[in-house]
Amino acid sequence: MNAKGPSSPTDALDNRRRLNIGGFSGISIIYLFLAVFLIYPLFQLFYDAATNAQGSFSLMSFVDFFQDAFYRKAMWRSVLLGIGTVATTSLLGITIAFLLVRYDFVGRSVSTYLTIIPIIMPPLVGVLGFVFILGRAGTVNVILQDYFGLVKPINFMYGIQGILLVETLHLFPLMTLSILDALSKIDPSLEEAAEAVGSKGLRRFRDITLPLMTPGYVTGALLVFIWTFADFATPLVVGINDLLAPQAYLNIVQFVDPRLFKMGIVISAIMVVMAIIFLILAKKYVSLKDYSSLAYSKIERRKLSPLKNVLVVLFIGTVLMFAFIPYLGIGLDAFGRAWALTAFPESYTLHYFKRVIIETPKFITNTLLFASLATGFCLLFGVPIAWILARTKAPGKDTLDSLVTLILALPGTAVGVAYLRAFREDIPFTSTSLLSMGIIIAIVLGVRRLPYTVRGTFASLLVVHKSYEEAAESVGAGKMRTFRDVTFPLIWKGILAGSLYSFILSLQEASATLLLTVPGDEVLAVGIFNFYTSGSRNEAAALGFILLVVGAICFIVINRIAGNKMGGVFG
Amino acid sequence: MKRVLALFGFIFLISIALGLTPLAAAPIEDQLVIQTPVTKFITDAAAKAFTEYAKKQWGMEIKVSGLYAGTPVCYGKIVEWKGKPQADIFWGGESALFDKLAEQGLLEKLDVSKAAWDAIPATIGTPVPLPLKDPNRFWVGTTLEPYGLIYQPKLLARLGVPPIKDWDDLLNPKLKGQVTQCTPDRSSSSHASYEIALQLHGWDKGWDWLKKLAVNTGTFATRSRDVPSLVSKGEYAAGFAVPSYMAFEERLAGYDVKFVYPSNAFVTNEPMAILKGAPHPKAALAFIEFLMTGEGQRVFMERGLFPITPKYKVAGAPGSTAEMAVEFTSGVRSFYDIKVGNIYKDDVAQKRYSEVNDYFRKNILEKHKDLIK
Repeated sequence: MNAKGPSSPTDALDNRRRLNIGGFSGISIIYLFLAVFLIYPLFQLFYDAATNAQGSFSLMSFVDFFQDAFYRKAMWRSVLLGIGTVATTSLLGITIAFLLVRYDFVGRSVSTYLTIIPIIMPPLVGVLGFVFILGRAGTVNVILQDYFGLVKPINFMYGIQGILLVETLHLFPLMTLSILDALSKIDPSLEEAAEAVGSKGLRRFRDITLPLMTPGYVTGALLVFIWTFADFATPLVVGINDLLAPQAYLNIVQFVDPRLFKMGIVISAIMVVMAIIFLILAKKYVSLKDYSSLAYSKIERRKLSPLKNVLVVLFIGTVLMFAFIPYLGIGLDAFGRAWALTAFPESYTLHYFKRVIIETPKFITNTLLFASLATGFCLLFGVPIAWILARTKAPGKDTLDSLVTLILALPGTAVGVAYLRAFREDIPFTSTSLLSMGIIIAIVLGVRRLPYTVRGTFASLLVVHKSYEEAAESVGAGKMRTFRDVTFPLIWKGILAGSLYSFILSLQEASATLLLTVPGDEVLAVGIFNFYTSGSRNEAAALGFILLVVGAICFIVINRIAGNKMGGVFG
Repeated sequence: MKRVLALFGFIFLISIALGLTPLAAAPIEDQLVIQTPVTKFITDAAAKAFTEYAKKQWGMEIKVSGLYAGTPVCYGKIVEWKGKPQADIFWGGESALFDKLAEQGLLEKLDVSKAAWDAIPATIGTPVPLPLKDPNRFWVGTTLEPYGLIYQPKLLARLGVPPIKDWDDLLNPKLKGQVTQCTPDRSSSSHASYEIALQLHGWDKGWDWLKKLAVNTGTFATRSRDVPSLVSKGEYAAGFAVPSYMAFEERLAGYDVKFVYPSNAFVTNEPMAILKGAPHPKAALAFIEFLMTGEGQRVFMERGLFPITPKYKVAGAPGSTAEMAVEFTSGVRSFYDIKVGNIYKDDVAQKRYSEVNDYFRKNILEKHKDLIK
């Protein structure tokens, strides 16, 4: 008797039992990871916010917050700014997505590329680049004053309008990506059917297209909103501090006044609560109206008349020109020596690059190390999570899904503060705290960027039909083996693209890491902050330039692998 | 007798040999971590000079690293470390904070030589003397650093404003919207300079002066380091409450800016202390002793700061950085050569610290839009 045969019933049972134990412990590890590095820090944040100096429960700090007209105004303004940015990015993002999906025009394929690029924008780099070009002594104002007799420089940047400008031109690609993804999944037959019964133009858009792209739009809008809501660096550069994120940051990074420090914790907690509320609202809306199919449809693109073609190219060209302003500004400042009050630098130098590459190479090596480790965490936990979500009926699956989405909505500053509070005590049975170890940077990056790997894997798992795996299992392959031999070869592109997004966005992250970095562990994004805060804007620009180049390379790789179908990563 | 002589000779040779060979155990640790709000511009230079010194002195490589943060953050971190610090030295900020740390038992007594200690005068300035070292030896000043004014000559010329010489020149109506300053609740240099105005003119008149300054202020920068950057870039014509080295850093980077030490301006001594429980205490002490030498003081003199001891003066070959610094500050070589006016009383300032910040927030920052109408 062939006891080792795959068809042996006892053996199959053994297999299944082993798998159940393996599966169970696998799920437990995932839950443990999320419990320790997501739930616990948030719990600690709320615990600290809701206890007084004596350690007993008290909501006095929250009362203080809401009684202070300044903080109420800051909260209100933050929400308004978020909504404003959603409005402006919607306008740009939807228009561009539509043009890219539905029409064929000269330069379409290169536009697909270029319109996504602005998302590669490390914190500070965007706003600094804008200030170099559009500031009071920026290129534009200098030219206007020197050649067109302008007396007083125009204030483009210093004020809420500056923040709106920076956020809009940075974040509209998120909107484009989300809509692009939704539009590509709309079955053209639905629109054809509408047209057949006489629904045309705007009416067809309102009745058919709009509802179908709503889920994609809502996710995009939520991301744009949270991103703007959580950005503390941009407002600080343009001299605005009556917003929630800068207040949280400023209050945390000062230790003299314990009252203010406490307020920083409270503001972070409030930001988390608000983010969760917006997330729930968005989810409700989406789940109510999700009619989209899962597969990408083949869409016929319409050709444009020469005149319209010119208009479209002009429109996209103008948007891109504005969106690329920061790259120009950063580039000029990174190479330009003592650039002041002239339209362009008068002499150029490699001095700043020498300082940041040769004298302090640790920024670059640390960045690659921590971003790679973080991506490792993303793969280790993200791929199994995606598989559980797509293929199993594991207990608590919905909770897992919600947690992963929650991460996307959490403001980075708040996460940083939460970690700061949660991991400052020594690890049990040792004499070092997690906070003093570099690995904390990799962990926080891994957690914050986990959703992108999960989404990328999940999206490609949905496209692989279950029957392939069932076929493999029916001939006796275990779940692991099936995954290795059948599923993985089919979805590796999705995993790679998702994890590369995790990688790119880890490179750019500074909001959480800034508060957690110990000396010697600074990554590029934190280095930009350090140089900027110590007054070396040129060195900050040089580091920013390097980060942009690394980001752009990763981005090109993603695009080569996955084409433009990666919008789902952000959903 | 011969044998005794031979023995002595032998002992003599052995001692010479021992004297020449470096001791097996290095005299100081090979690492040093500095927690500081002082810019990398100064700290990097000090670290480099010290590394070279250690190499020459003990033939060893020492790795000096800096932990950079604003003064309050540094202070907070040191308190949070609870005597188990991740750094050896705290450098920079207000000496009042050092006193607070010493009270909490978080600083180590400085065991430097009497000669080096005595070379630093106890105070500077009249009528109110400013302490330059702690009588209890928990901290010592490292350099003299005025918080003054910075301006952009090219932009001033364009606006038709003569070069700035003293505080009141900032109130020139032609400078409306052209001044930048950091808020006093976010910057210790700004807060100290606000106190100078309040203690010079008295509470009410002081605030009147500060409100006039606010009228000319285009933007309140959130961080003090932004002020000189904004001025050197030409975003604004003049900056208020800027430490001299920050201004000189911009000058060294090639920007065409000038620094003014206005009357009675705040002068800090960038105190330095060794943290209790420091992982590298010997290196820390060696670093402090090094900074007190002429070689150490040179680090400051070449970077827009002034020697803490009367013995040294900023000077160098024509065209040297030191001479550039002298020209930059309109000829000051030592603070012991000029009249150092000081009216700043720290106890007054400490007592009303939050009151000043609150008053500023309510009556200037929140009303800025109305003030500039």
